[in-house]
Amino acid sequence: MKLLTKTTFYFLITMVPLLAVAGFYLVNQFSKEINYRSDKELVSDEIQWIQYLETAVANGTTFFLKTPELSIFPTDADVDEYATITTTYSYSKTKNEDIPYRQLAQVISISGNHYQIYIRQSQEQKAALESDVKWIMLFVLAGLFAATLIFNWVISKRLWKPFRRSLNKIRSAELQKMEAMHFETTNTEEFNELNASLNYMTGKIYKDYVNMKEFTENAAHEMQTPVAVVLSKLELLLQDNNLKEEQVQSILESVAALQRLSKLNEGLLLLAKIENNQYETTEEISLAEITKKYLHLFNEFIKEKQLTVQTTFTGEFKINLHPILADSLISNLLGNAIKYNYTAGMIEISVSENHFHISNTSLLKPIPSEKLFKRLKNSKESLESSNGLGLAIVKKIAEVKKLGITYHAGNGLHSFDIIREKGRKEQTL
Amino acid sequence: MKILIIEDEHALQESIFKYLEHQGFICEAVSDFLQAKDKLARFDYDCIVVDIGLPYGSGLDLVKELKYMESKAGIIIISAKNALEDKLAGLDLGADDYLAKPFYLSELTSRINAIIRRRNFSGSKVITFNEIKLEAEAQLVTVNDKPVVLTDKEYQLLEYFIANRRRLLTKAAIAEHIWGEEYLHVSNFDFIYSQIKNLRKKLLDAGSGDYIKTVYRAGYRFTDQ
Repeated sequence: MKLLTKTTFYFLITMVPLLAVAGFYLVNQFSKEINYRSDKELVSDEIQWIQYLETAVANGTTFFLKTPELSIFPTDADVDEYATITTTYSYSKTKNEDIPYRQLAQVISISGNHYQIYIRQSQEQKAALESDVKWIMLFVLAGLFAATLIFNWVISKRLWKPFRRSLNKIRSAELQKMEAMHFETTNTEEFNELNASLNYMTGKIYKDYVNMKEFTENAAHEMQTPVAVVLSKLELLLQDNNLKEEQVQSILESVAALQRLSKLNEGLLLLAKIENNQYETTEEISLAEITKKYLHLFNEFIKEKQLTVQTTFTGEFKINLHPILADSLISNLLGNAIKYNYTAGMIEISVSENHFHISNTSLLKPIPSEKLFKRLKNSKESLESSNGLGLAIVKKIAEVKKLGITYHAGNGLHSFDIIREKGRKEQTL
Repeated sequence: MKILIIEDEHALQESIFKYLEHQGFICEAVSDFLQAKDKLARFDYDCIVVDIGLPYGSGLDLVKELKYMESKAGIIIISAKNALEDKLAGLDLGADDYLAKPFYLSELTSRINAIIRRRNFSGSKVITFNEIKLEAEAQLVTVNDKPVVLTDKEYQLLEYFIANRRRLLTKAAIAEHIWGEEYLHVSNFDFIYSQIKNLRKKLLDAGSGDYIKTVYRAGYRFTDQ
């Protein structure tokens, strides 16, 4: 749930009852006040009427008065000590409905005669007034409420702007460009704290990244130099014409093993670099083009093995991939398809907009799934020239680029499929 | 042909020195930045083999220095860093070639030969080995002045053989020179046999001596001895 939705929600559940109680209280108070005023009026009316009665009946006549507003008539009832004021309803012919009245009733004794007094005052105006007040209050409160919500929304949008800016920066962050990343100072203390922490963090990440990059490169450097020394010495040794044949063979085997070590080192370095996203690029590359390039480069090997290559290019399979990685991906897959094939075998390649497929005939058993794409898990049947990293590199490239890669083997046919997963953006961090 | 080898790893420096000297180059070797700078200031060389990581400075700065001096020497960088950025940086500064360690000495020799030939504007660009003549620019090969038609790969092979004449060349080194590192993905290097067989046949048919000698189970040697 959005923070704004949350604050609005809490605001609503606290403000609605509060406003309702306040409104109810105000209307109630208002109504009480009006009743109090009209009751006072009724009482003062009664006092005047009593004074009038006292003079009017002094001569012993009986007083009798009956109007809708006022009734005074003799009664046998006992004298009331206090007047009672109630709200009554009586039917109005003109309005055709019951109309509320405030009614004062008291039995008084004047010169020994008991009189019943009823004084009534129509509450119709009061009801109308009350209803008006209710509506006005409802409008004002609703208006206040809406205004508060809108202000809250606008203010929150403004207040959170620096936060959004920082968030967008983090989202678009790339390891290689983290050095240039800066979260600027705002006029909100909390965001300043956040941005300062982010600046510290990105700085540290970048430093660690550079360190790691340097370390992997230095490690490779340190390893390649001794290998170069040994290789050069062996090559010089080979030039000795007095060597026996077994000695030459030993040297050649050492050279081959050394080359494997060096290629292994290079392969591991490549994997580390892919993992570190050191091959970021903005350029698009066509896998179809790369495939054609390698078919041309490997043509002699294909001819040598008398392989039949069937190609179907229906799309380019354009992808944002560094040329080195694109080369590595295709040369590994095509290379394997040639290497593990048998003479006069077959290779089938099809490239469409979102799908790359390569399959080859082979006498080798299917790669067990626990060894597939794993580093240095060569099956013993594979050739010596393999370093056990090819498919691991292929897998890693696919992973980083969010491509789906599947392997299938059956009927003497090994196939790899690379599929662009729809709706997934390429990973940037 | 004078070559300066700038390499701080003494054992490697010695190997390069010996191999190149044997191929007929006049070599000098230094092992740090300051010595190299001193040598470069005082003498002219046809080609400079320089490592990037050196004591007291970077090989790349030496390349810069050479370009500033408007030196005519060819430059080949040898580095343990196979990173593309380093390669591009070196070539951008004006180096002629970049070779990642480890490398075959035969490969280095072949590349030095190519650089010297390319840079030798006034002199002849013809490579000769007895009756065989290679015109590098036109990729034209003649035996006793009779043209021989070779494929690209066969031409590269012959050039490589002549640059490393009299040396034992392993199949792996030959394969890597002609097909690049990519061949590792594809095959073992037995396939070079047919290429060499074709080249030998074409040369023999044109009347050249049989210089390509097979060294049993090891490789080949191009020699007139």
